[in-house]
Amino acid sequence: MSMEGIAMATAEAGTRGRPVTAGLTLFAVLAVAAFVGALAIGPFTIAPGRVFAVLWDWITGAAPAGSLRERIVVLDVRLPRALVGALAGSGMAVAGALMQGVFRNPLADPSLVGVAPGAALAAVAFVVFGAPLVALLPQPLQVVGLPLAAFAGGLVTTLVIARLAEHDGRTSVATLLFAGLALGALASAGTGVMVFLASEQQTRDFLFWTLGSLGGATWMKAALAAPFVLGLLAIAVGLARGLDALALGEAEAFHAGVSVERLKRTAVVAVAAGVGAAVAATGVVGFVGLVVPHLARLVIGPSHRALVPASALLGAAVLLGADILARMIAAPAELPLGVVTALVGAPFFLWLLLKRRAFVG
Amino acid sequence: MLIRRQKAIRACRLAARLVSLGVVVAALLAVAGLAPRVAAAQPQASPLRIVSIGGAVNEILFALGMGDRVVAVDQTSRYPAAARALPDVGYARALSPEGVLSVGPTLILAMEGAGPPSTMEVLKQASVPVVVIPDGHDREAVLHKIAAVAKAVGAEEKGRALAAEVSDDFAALDAMVKVLPERPRAVFVLSASGGAAVVGGSDTSADAILKLAGLTNAMAEIKGFKPALDEAAMSAEPEAVVVMRGGGQVLDAATVFALPAFAGTPAARDKRLVALPGSYLLGFGPRTPRAARDLAAALHPGAKLPELPARPWSTEPDQ
Amino acid sequence: MYRAENVTVTASGRRLVDGASLTVRPGRVTVLVGPNGAGKSTLLKAMSGEHRLATGRVTLDGISIHDMRPLELARRRAVLPQAAEVAFPFTAAEVITAGLMAGEGHDRARILRLLARVDLPGFADRRYDSLSGGERQRVQLARILAQLDAGKPDAPGYLFLDEPTASLDLAHQLTVLNIARAHADAGGGVLAVLHDLNLAAMVADEIVVLAGGRVRAAGPVAEVLTEPVLADAFGIRLRIGVAPPGPFILPQNVQAAE
Repeated sequence: MSMEGIAMATAEAGTRGRPVTAGLTLFAVLAVAAFVGALAIGPFTIAPGRVFAVLWDWITGAAPAGSLRERIVVLDVRLPRALVGALAGSGMAVAGALMQGVFRNPLADPSLVGVAPGAALAAVAFVVFGAPLVALLPQPLQVVGLPLAAFAGGLVTTLVIARLAEHDGRTSVATLLFAGLALGALASAGTGVMVFLASEQQTRDFLFWTLGSLGGATWMKAALAAPFVLGLLAIAVGLARGLDALALGEAEAFHAGVSVERLKRTAVVAVAAGVGAAVAATGVVGFVGLVVPHLARLVIGPSHRALVPASALLGAAVLLGADILARMIAAPAELPLGVVTALVGAPFFLWLLLKRRAFVG
Repeated sequence: MLIRRQKAIRACRLAARLVSLGVVVAALLAVAGLAPRVAAAQPQASPLRIVSIGGAVNEILFALGMGDRVVAVDQTSRYPAAARALPDVGYARALSPEGVLSVGPTLILAMEGAGPPSTMEVLKQASVPVVVIPDGHDREAVLHKIAAVAKAVGAEEKGRALAAEVSDDFAALDAMVKVLPERPRAVFVLSASGGAAVVGGSDTSADAILKLAGLTNAMAEIKGFKPALDEAAMSAEPEAVVVMRGGGQVLDAATVFALPAFAGTPAARDKRLVALPGSYLLGFGPRTPRAARDLAAALHPGAKLPELPARPWSTEPDQ
Repeated sequence: MYRAENVTVTASGRRLVDGASLTVRPGRVTVLVGPNGAGKSTLLKAMSGEHRLATGRVTLDGISIHDMRPLELARRRAVLPQAAEVAFPFTAAEVITAGLMAGEGHDRARILRLLARVDLPGFADRRYDSLSGGERQRVQLARILAQLDAGKPDAPGYLFLDEPTASLDLAHQLTVLNIARAHADAGGGVLAVLHDLNLAAMVADEIVVLAGGRVRAAGPVAEVLTEPVLADAFGIRLRIGVAPPGPFILPQNVQAAE
């Protein structure tokens, strides 16, 4: 999100009594701090000054500073990792905000429309049967076979659910929810079959994938995820006004001039693509999509015109912060990222629920 | 007046929210800062600094006398005890590139299948040689692992000596097992969570060790490690159950024989259960002939099987 | 002119509105009355574009509203919902802003003026979900006024009010009806569903009586609010008195028809 974008969102939100500018500034500072932290902190000890010297020389194309390992840790491990983390965190959080807006329910998250179960099924199928398929992919894409499968699985599942929920040109949110539950259960059953067929090792691989990690982040993954996540962000900014109107009710939104059907369809497809790409890059990382929009709403209020950029910034900050913990706690091994986000996210969410029943009710 | 007070209250609440948010973030950063830091690599040409991935690889390294060159291990490297004191880089197939680099390795010796590929790619780019040791579950495979590890660390001489010792052990084992009159039916139970036994079928390390010990795998009809149907397990009539011990395993005779799968089997009737350390039993490293001998001795109670000769690398008791 | 022509709306095989025609003219307040289940709300929703039509058409200045984009339509007509829940903790001012898809520059001063107009001064930063039913109703009224305001400041457009007085006390019923009146006087059109025949008689230029989904009578108040028409539509006998400035119906004179 550019600074002009933030300024515009602030001006449009236009109500007093909410610290919209202060909140967005805070989230931007947090996101930048987390990004810098992700570059500077890690089990491989490099003085922060060296980290930035390496970065600076890389940017300016000067004679490379630092040892080969320092350069590799900074440029090929931490930098792509931080980028993938920022993209995935933003994508998941904004997707959560979109889903909560579309379902008009602060407890909604992208898993409701089947992205995660579908992606999981495709991922495990790829782990079990994918080896021969990898050979068919062009060389540079071979390492990202599993992410590509997960992305396709999430997208296809969501499109099927959206299609099922459409009747007579109208999408029923209730049917969408039930179709999502049913197809999610079906995908989970398929995942169970795959796990049964899998070898012990494949089962563990899949288990680790479902716990999420930024460990496999590469420039390639960042490049593949970027267009979808950035697309999701752009679309979310465009839908923000409509989502505000939708908060008043579906009929009210239509009366106010929103093409409600198009809004719902666009949101679901953008979420499926964006979250699919994020999940493909990181595996399943829970609670970011659910908790971050909540947290953002507490500070800057419920208007999506500010909530979308706020969620993007805070989502990146939270995921990068969680990843710093995941890398440091068990170093030189790495905790699964999903474990960290759930460990921090779930109790926080419960606290939020109990503390502010009115917000949810 | 009232309005001003409301405004003040609202401002206070807002400030409280922002502060609590800040505290959370500060706490995150503080924890990150306090987390253990592994000493940075000292870039030197020698000596070797080895990251050992895989229980068998690690045992071979220690048996070759290279234990003091190992700077980090994966979570399956539990023997000898000195290995357990080393930094743990986690699950062999989900290695963190920076985690591995942070211990300053000059060589990575990894059992086949270590990964993910992206991590291996980064390690190669960082000019850390990665030597992959092929896996396998028989005598030839074990000897090949020894040769491959020895070659990678430039200890071919010691490697040949170790291989000869292990080869002798295998020969002694074969001689013992060959003359055993029976091949009792045994089943390997990996886990029993939720009342269903996950057993070792054919094409598994468990199947291989049962065969080496002169036993018949009662569950050979299943392929891989799978939950066994209760009735299938019963009708397989196993005479003994083999389980892993250590590393958090809590399968005892009471638990196993309470499973419906083993109700009424000869194994349950005779309460015959053998528990051996996991990496010893299934590691397929230098101590494998010993593990097979121990298993055979336990499950051929009639035969008097001699101990294999003690080796310097096998004296330490397993966990 | 906002017209329904021979409109039929069906749901699960039942004809909720059956061949109804109705015209809302600029500068006039048209009130829809009728017994419970007569199809008043359904007809209003059909005219707003929310319900599909089984037959007939709804036009705004001759153009079918179903050929217009929602945003185009929203610039010309705004609908006051019967009972509106808001999904997130918006403030009153934010609810008003949330409904503005068209137009820019809805500055705070304007929102405060609108809130004052619906007798909610100082409510801008109050949480919508903490307001009473009547207060919410008036925030929603302010919102749709803002919507028309933002849409086409030069032509006031059409206000559709579905039971706008339902949860209001007497004073605020009058506030709302005065706003409707003022909107019409400024050249806008108003279509309102009202239960209270006295209020209807007071505010309406034209009254449409709906019963069983059909239009039973339509026209100026004095022509429509007659004993035979109401007896037919409501199934009761009643007496209508006339006092300046118009007819009134006394409840104690109402008795059930045999």
